[in-house]
Amino acid sequence: MNLRVVGANLVVSMKTFCREKTTMFFTTTFPILLILVFGAIFVDQDKVNFDLCVQDLDQTETSAEIASALALTGKLKIIRVDPAIDAVQYARENKVNLVLVIPKDYEKSYVQYLQFDDPNAYAAIKYVYDPSSSSVVTKMQILEMVFAKLNQGLSGKPAFVRTAEISIHTREYRFIDFFIPGIIAMAVMTASLFGTVNVNTELRQKGIIRKLSTTPITRTEWILSNILYQFVLAVISTTAMLLVSYAVFDVKLQINAWLPLFVVLDVFTFVGIGMILTRIVREAQSAAAAANAIIFPMMFLSGSFVPIEMMPRFLQTFAKTLPLYYVNEGLRASMVFHDNATALSYAAIIGTFAAMVFILGIMITRWEAGE
Amino acid sequence: MTTEFEHAIEVENLKKFYGNLVAVNDISFNVRQGEVFAFLGPNGAGKTTTVEIADTIRMPTSGKVRILGMDVTKEKRGIVPRIGVLPQGFSSFDKITVRETMQYYSRLFCCRNADIDGLIDLVNLKDKAKEQYMKLSGGLKQRLGIAIALVNDPEVVFLDEPTTGLDPRARREVWEVLLGLKKEGKTVFLTTHYIEEAELLADTVAIISKGKIIAMDSPAQLIESNADYLVLTLQSGDEKAFEVLGKMGFNPDLNNHKSINVRVERTEDIRKILNAMKDAGAPLLSMDVRKPNLEQVFLKLTGKALDEGASGGKGAE
Repeated sequence: MNLRVVGANLVVSMKTFCREKTTMFFTTTFPILLILVFGAIFVDQDKVNFDLCVQDLDQTETSAEIASALALTGKLKIIRVDPAIDAVQYARENKVNLVLVIPKDYEKSYVQYLQFDDPNAYAAIKYVYDPSSSSVVTKMQILEMVFAKLNQGLSGKPAFVRTAEISIHTREYRFIDFFIPGIIAMAVMTASLFGTVNVNTELRQKGIIRKLSTTPITRTEWILSNILYQFVLAVISTTAMLLVSYAVFDVKLQINAWLPLFVVLDVFTFVGIGMILTRIVREAQSAAAAANAIIFPMMFLSGSFVPIEMMPRFLQTFAKTLPLYYVNEGLRASMVFHDNATALSYAAIIGTFAAMVFILGIMITRWEAGE
Repeated sequence: MTTEFEHAIEVENLKKFYGNLVAVNDISFNVRQGEVFAFLGPNGAGKTTTVEIADTIRMPTSGKVRILGMDVTKEKRGIVPRIGVLPQGFSSFDKITVRETMQYYSRLFCCRNADIDGLIDLVNLKDKAKEQYMKLSGGLKQRLGIAIALVNDPEVVFLDEPTTGLDPRARREVWEVLLGLKKEGKTVFLTTHYIEEAELLADTVAIISKGKIIAMDSPAQLIESNADYLVLTLQSGDEKAFEVLGKMGFNPDLNNHKSINVRVERTEDIRKILNAMKDAGAPLLSMDVRKPNLEQVFLKLTGKALDEGASGGKGAE
């Protein structure tokens, strides 16, 4: 092992990296853009405002109070609909997924119920809605809560069943806190896998590997310098992503020794997979396609972007067979939930897997042109 | 390291099979120290396979190959620092400059005092030292490849088709560099499918065809020993001339559709041909009688012209 040789290789790789604008973009700028875009979409998820169309057919002071009560929840922005038009037609024409219709004689029934204690008096509020819309369910839940409170207030007795919320986390987390570790794991995976596939196929096709095999550099020195290069890239991109996350979204993540450990294991895993892949698929284009075939399921099914609890049961089971899942969840356990026990067990799983693929990769990587 | 061997390269009964395909079929030859040795043959003849076994890129199926006395299958680590290789279709890192590439390879060989500037000078790339590899023309790339092959001051240099794919001017520039190497007394193993390249540079030429060496000697000696005939080149204004020659039992060869080459064994045949032309009423515009050159020797030995099926392609062998 000659460190001078390893260093010479690393220098050439870094110079190429700095001069290759596309590689630069996909390694640093692209993950940052992802963070900015997804962060902007989800950062205010808890403060979402839904539009709610209300058609008041009664046009009285009492009926107007309903709209005010709904607006006071802070979750609904009330849009008034002209009582003269048909609510169904209005919803269709304006692509509105829910119109709340307050019936005529609302005030009259209200007085009947309250003052004359008439148990048969009631107000039938109508939801004119589009069942194919996804946000309509949330809106209707909010409405049900408001009406339940209203009914309970009218009954004159305090509520019997009362609920209290106790979070299992000591702090409150936002989606962005959950999202950043996933993006780090994904960006390191993509760079390591594509980096390895590109280096191995491109340099082989161009005959550079053949030339190198007539110099004193050994296979071990070559692989070591490539993995060091991937580490350097992983450090650059992880640092860039964390800086942006802190600066723009003020994330509350814990940075400790688990972060470099998981990044290192992420690199080893996907450099190993890359070496195996380029041994099996030798043409540059097919190798890139095969790399994509590995990356896409990992990206979307291992819980990088969304918690796997949101996926169907069979996909959740599948996710747990993907190596990236353990990097995602390990990073989250350490950075978000401060859960060292989980981080340790996931590090052990991904560490074992990384060692296996990496050793296999080294064993099957061929240096010479032919046997 | 300065042990003297009579032969820098020794090849004994070398065979290489790719599955059922026989690439190299039992060849033996030696290359003396300080000699420029050329493998001449068409694509697919087994040139690259042989040179890649000798420069440790490939393993032989059977046979012995020794470089500076060391066995290529067992002593690669001892051989590599003492040889320089320009592989076929040489290529380097696109975004790395000429000078940086030279520094990189010199570091791989751990030669701290490699004369990088001297080598860049030698291959005439001084003006391009700061140019990235991808921006160099084909000829400049090959010259850089040769400079890289010399970065460890090797005792034996392997150049696999150093001028294939280059235009005539770039080819001449590479030849200048190679003549310089010859003057320095380096042992050079060269493969080519250009006859004039072999004739100009080589001390010994081995003609290789279908995995076998069919002739091996100095260019002059090859011509001498195969020149038991004369080449008559004539130009006629009448197409009948070609037919007449055919009818007389010769095997005429149309050269660029303008002149006709005929191989004649005896001088009196020339008189016969001239008389026949006169009788047939096919006037002669010009006539020339020569001893054959290396190209014709090649044609005689292999039965086909060298550029047949080798029209500038860089097919792997």
